[in-house]
Amino acid sequence: MLKNKYLFVLLLLCSITVVCSIGTFFYVKLNNEQVASEDEILVMTSCNPVYIATLNILDGVEGYRVQNLSQPTTGCLHDYTLTTEDMKNLSKADVLVVNGGGMEGYLDDVMEAYPDLKIIDTYEDIEHSNGIFGMDSLLIEEEEEHDHEEHEHEEDDERLHLEGKGDHEVVDEVSDHHHHDHGANSHIWMDDRLFKCQVVSIANGLMEPNPNREETPMSKNFFEYSQKLENDIDKQGLDKTLAGSNVAILHEAFAYTAQSVGANVVATMDLDEERQVSAGEVSEFINEIKEHDVKLVFAEYDYGKSMGDLIEEQTDAKVVYLETLVHGDYDADSYIAVQNSNYAKIKNAL
Amino acid sequence: MFSEMFSYSFMIRATIAILLISPLFGMVGTMIVQKRMAYFSDALGHSALTGIAAGVIMGIANTTVSMIIFGICFALLLNYISRKGLSSSDTLISVFASCATALGLAILSRGGSFSNYSAILVGDILSITVAEIIQLVVLFAVILVFWCISINRLTAISIHATLAKSRSISVRVIEDAFAVLIALLVMLSIKWVGILLINALLILPAASSRNISENFREYTYFSMIFSIFSGIVGLFVSYFTDMATGPMIVIIASVIYFATYIYGKDR
Repeated sequence: MLKNKYLFVLLLLCSITVVCSIGTFFYVKLNNEQVASEDEILVMTSCNPVYIATLNILDGVEGYRVQNLSQPTTGCLHDYTLTTEDMKNLSKADVLVVNGGGMEGYLDDVMEAYPDLKIIDTYEDIEHSNGIFGMDSLLIEEEEEHDHEEHEHEEDDERLHLEGKGDHEVVDEVSDHHHHDHGANSHIWMDDRLFKCQVVSIANGLMEPNPNREETPMSKNFFEYSQKLENDIDKQGLDKTLAGSNVAILHEAFAYTAQSVGANVVATMDLDEERQVSAGEVSEFINEIKEHDVKLVFAEYDYGKSMGDLIEEQTDAKVVYLETLVHGDYDADSYIAVQNSNYAKIKNAL
Repeated sequence: MFSEMFSYSFMIRATIAILLISPLFGMVGTMIVQKRMAYFSDALGHSALTGIAAGVIMGIANTTVSMIIFGICFALLLNYISRKGLSSSDTLISVFASCATALGLAILSRGGSFSNYSAILVGDILSITVAEIIQLVVLFAVILVFWCISINRLTAISIHATLAKSRSISVRVIEDAFAVLIALLVMLSIKWVGILLINALLILPAASSRNISENFREYTYFSMIFSIFSGIVGLFVSYFTDMATGPMIVIIASVIYFATYIYGKDR
């Protein structure tokens, strides 16, 4: 009996090992992804918007491979945890492009684990480069808790920049880098003007200092994509019809959508998969809508539909369900397509 | 295949962490199952949320500290009230666990910010750092020393507390010390294992071992073997299949439980 028991345990553990090994072997065979070769520069991105921007900048550029960390089906990026596949990719990556502003909660762990990994933080670049982009005032901050841990260092840096509408040129800039730690609304890609700045930040981060870089395929792509963003995003006159009007939002990302058309956000309720709202919050939100004569409420369908129905029932406001672009089909033109679709939905609701 | 896996420092750290945590779970789990404290450890796991919330309110940057302090206080309070015998212990633990979880959720979800803390529900062993592994080494040493000194007394108490008391065993001190150790183990490993799964890892190996063991020595050894095996195989499978590590470990531990249950039933 004693021997039988030990034999049973041995057989049990061996069987589990064999089954797991066979199962894992076939799983790996079926899901074998293309791996970057040794001589390729692997550029990892943290989310769909910066992936699309990077993809456009590196389109057809030899020696680069772009890969996104999170899958397009994951929920909100704030609570995304890295998978083993992500960790493996990051250990091989040369550059990590992030949205920043607290969007990637795992960023500190990554920086600690891979101190040599170059990180392009688009939010930080925009926040601290108002001299270059002139867009700093457009960032929406939720809390004014500026924790100025200033570790300043000066560096000579050649940077691409946007100057006026569609006018791009290369200038020499000296920039001071500061690190701020504050709770900010980091969905900056939802304002197309800030997304253009993100494209600039990524292009600057990826390009080596080179006096002739305007002639490189990467800079050519940058200028083409910036021009495309300028020409192809169609706000359908909303920046005139909605300018100065009041709107309410059910997802903080749409604060930037409102900003992009010049509307004022008078009430915000940030709904996501884990958000539980109190009765007080709902009544306050509805009161704000009535008080400010809000005609449009921007919401995300998945998490805002039931609240949207309630608002339409209780007020005269119309709820428009927009895309946040966190998920996508990884198509290079999807940013422009989704933004245009968002603006068309708003236009139709008017 | 395996050489590639260990070329990543995060996998080496995760493997070391599993090798430190899993035998502790196997060992401490035996006494938790023996003393019918499964609900107690589950309640402790859920109280981690309140510990974090307390840390956030008090402005403590390292919420692990507030989690440990709250966990120890919570464990001692549960022991104290259970001793009073005012109500059945499972009811009391349930009330305290629900209250602590609700309090933690209410505070952490203030302003819709619970998503910042939701990672603790499933844990993430891949992000463990060297400093945190050192914490686990210290915990490993402390629990091992306590185990060597107190295992006979703990066993006596688990069989018959009154009889143990008549043999001059300080039941209260041993029980409180054991509760503090469970609190330390749960709070220090919850970040890697997750609130939803930590109790499964504490209970499953010991429960599997109980299905086939005939004495306490076998009970402890089998429990530790099952725990280490589940941990290592779960980590390796999760590495190759890109699935979360904690759930994979629990799935393997569950398979072992069902197999030993069937074997133990037919003996």
